[in-house]
Amino acid sequence: MREPFKIFYSIFQEKTKLREYVDSGRRVFGTMCNNVPEEIIHSLGAVPIRMFGNYGNTNLANSKIPSWTCNYARNVMEAGLRGDFDFLEGVVSATTDDTKIHLFSAYRFYIKPRFSYLVQFPYVRDEVSEEFFARELERFAKHLSSHLSVEFNEDRLSASAGVYNTYRELCGEFESLRAEEKPKIRADEFMALMLSSLSMLKEDFVSMADNLPEMLGDHDGFSDYRLRVHLSGTDFYNLTLLRLIEESGMAVVSDDLCTSAGYFTGKVEGDGFRGIAERYSGCTACVMTSSNTELSVEERLRFIRKKIKENNADAIVLLKDRGCEVCGHQCPWIVREIDIPVLVLDLDFPLSVEQYRTRMEAFVEAHGGG
Amino acid sequence: MENNWNPLGYKNLYRELFKKHLNRQNELLKNNRPVGWFFSFHPSELIYIFDVVSAFPEQYSAYCAARGSSVDLIDTSISSGYGHFLCDYFKTTIGMIEAPEKATPPLMPKPDFIISSRALCVAHHEMAEVFARYYGIPKYTVNYPYWTTDSLKNPDELTKEAEWADELYVEYTVERLRGLVDFMAEVAGEADEEKFREVFRKSEKTSELLIKILNLMMSKPTPGSQREISDLVFIAFFVLGSDYALEFCENAYEVIRERVKKGEGVSEEKHRLLTFGIVPWHSLKIYQYCESMGANFPVNLYVNASVHKADSSNPYMSMVRRSMHFTNSSYEMLDGVVKTARKADIDGALLLENTGCRITSMIIRPLAERLREDLGVQSLILEAPQCDPRVMPMERAKTQIDAFLESLA
Ligand code: SF4
Ligand code: SF4
Repeated sequence: MREPFKIFYSIFQEKTKLREYVDSGRRVFGTMCNNVPEEIIHSLGAVPIRMFGNYGNTNLANSKIPSWTCNYARNVMEAGLRGDFDFLEGVVSATTDDTKIHLFSAYRFYIKPRFSYLVQFPYVRDEVSEEFFARELERFAKHLSSHLSVEFNEDRLSASAGVYNTYRELCGEFESLRAEEKPKIRADEFMALMLSSLSMLKEDFVSMADNLPEMLGDHDGFSDYRLRVHLSGTDFYNLTLLRLIEESGMAVVSDDLCTSAGYFTGKVEGDGFRGIAERYSGCTACVMTSSNTELSVEERLRFIRKKIKENNADAIVLLKDRGCEVCGHQCPWIVREIDIPVLVLDLDFPLSVEQYRTRMEAFVEAHGGG
Repeated sequence: MENNWNPLGYKNLYRELFKKHLNRQNELLKNNRPVGWFFSFHPSELIYIFDVVSAFPEQYSAYCAARGSSVDLIDTSISSGYGHFLCDYFKTTIGMIEAPEKATPPLMPKPDFIISSRALCVAHHEMAEVFARYYGIPKYTVNYPYWTTDSLKNPDELTKEAEWADELYVEYTVERLRGLVDFMAEVAGEADEEKFREVFRKSEKTSELLIKILNLMMSKPTPGSQREISDLVFIAFFVLGSDYALEFCENAYEVIRERVKKGEGVSEEKHRLLTFGIVPWHSLKIYQYCESMGANFPVNLYVNASVHKADSSNPYMSMVRRSMHFTNSSYEMLDGVVKTARKADIDGALLLENTGCRITSMIIRPLAERLREDLGVQSLILEAPQCDPRVMPMERAKTQIDAFLESLA
């Protein structure tokens, strides 16, 4: 990993920014899902960050929640039980899948954060549900503002939406850089950027990373690959596996991960809570919500197809966490319905990444040009 | 082991009930009425109001598990690429769709529409999507809230009547339910209002009887076996609102009342256990084994979760109330469960971790903790997926049960 990315990664790993915030008296809230509307937390002067654990073995967590649940959930639980999140003022999750609901409940039960809120997601996008969702977000804002004793203000909400939109635009620029003929960002570097952006205020990330696209634009880019791939999956954040993918002759040119494109795609266009509600329920990389006439898996497939087309991906690498309920239900449809080769990697955590090398190399051999 | 473990004598009543249910289904199929697939906690009354054929993947999968075909069906689903750690009901149903020749007949009829909901698990919604895509059929979704301490106060563990529920959530759910009624009218034709009231009146009476039966189960000695009681979920979930459900409950209530009056128990009662977790349909003998050793089950929280007090004067609220069970509430809301356990005077708990089901499996340890902390009651946790007997071989389960009962003695 090149130098600037290392700095970003250390922000995630060492929690350097978080320490700064806490030391300066800012209140930090952990989120368990990319669908938590962070703009609301941000508008109240608090710092939203995404909760991650980074443990190979999750023995403490396994004594509280089943060991077959996804790596993400077990790691959040493990980190929580070890006290890694003691600095948090509260946690927020969303009803986007069973794991996230019950992780929230278990976390509340065992770790007892000072504040907690579960955002109730409608799974449909019709007028009644959009209206409900806007009111649900308002309810969340009320609860949080009363906990923080900070008055909610619409103008501040739209300012926060602006900050997040700028961040999303910047991520879009990074996305274009990795999609070039000679990609200018490696997969692990891209993920390092994403993870750091999830561990700090967006305005701080933007001011740190703003000049990166220009810097990278001057770079020649990488041509040491034989296959351009789209990464599909959910709450994935293992850099070693990403490196292995690229070492095997693939270049990651796009993704739909909850920790990456599933998080930053889509801007807030409208005003107030309704605008926020429309952005979050309209996230087509998100797996559960869809319009009244379509299934969410169809919307996800459309999102993937669009990414593949825009970024000239030749194949898909599907990261299937064995405990992920979303992957478990949707993977077969991606394999069946997308008409480019798909490599499905069954991920069993803790990962012993080397076991995947041969399969990746064989995949590149079979489908890579040159 | 005695095969006819049927102390309450409900077996004949169930037989009669299933017969009537199947006759109704066949009659409607003959008349080309639309077929809907539904999930537990769906307002089953609508099935009778709109005269549609109903099929429940959960119920069908349980049937396959009891008949021994679920293992093959689960394997079919996994070899098609679906996840291993998903709900057994999903995997079994996928097996039926992809390899019908391996499934136990009669298979579920092909659906014309599907109702997805989240009154229990997102898995219902996730699987409804997959099934809808297989068949290319319309789907309607009702999204109930997941209740937390800031949205629901003091729900009764059995009736689900609560002191207070957040208006925003209730209103939205009611709106979706009204939409569901409109959707049903579109697929099945308008229903008349009197019928609507009539079905809910039946549902109300039936629900009251179910609650009474479950209350009587807490008598000393425990009057019935879980082999008979656990099937009550079929009534509470799937056929509530039908004539035959009401008829069953009237008879079943009389039987258990008589038995309690006479002080007759399942066996010579040495222990009173609470149980929770979806019943392992392939190994119902597990209850019988415990009961034959004097460890009876006055409380099955899974069965308790399935019932609610229906209210014909307020049918929509009644439909929302179905979702106010402890498995759809955050884990600090276990007070109602502890109260029930205290009332039943239990001295141990047998908790079943249903692999692949995040709902039952994740709440089990907090439940065991509350029972231990509040009542000093120990729990035995067994990993037991509801349709896959390979994970919990009976012999191993028996050894663990023996050791547990010994520790209670
Ligand atoms: S989307 Fe998958 S990986 Fe993420 S929390 Fe849900 S189950 Fe876990
Ligand atoms: S077994 Fe669990 S996941 Fe499956 S339908 Fe029941 S509650 Fe949902």
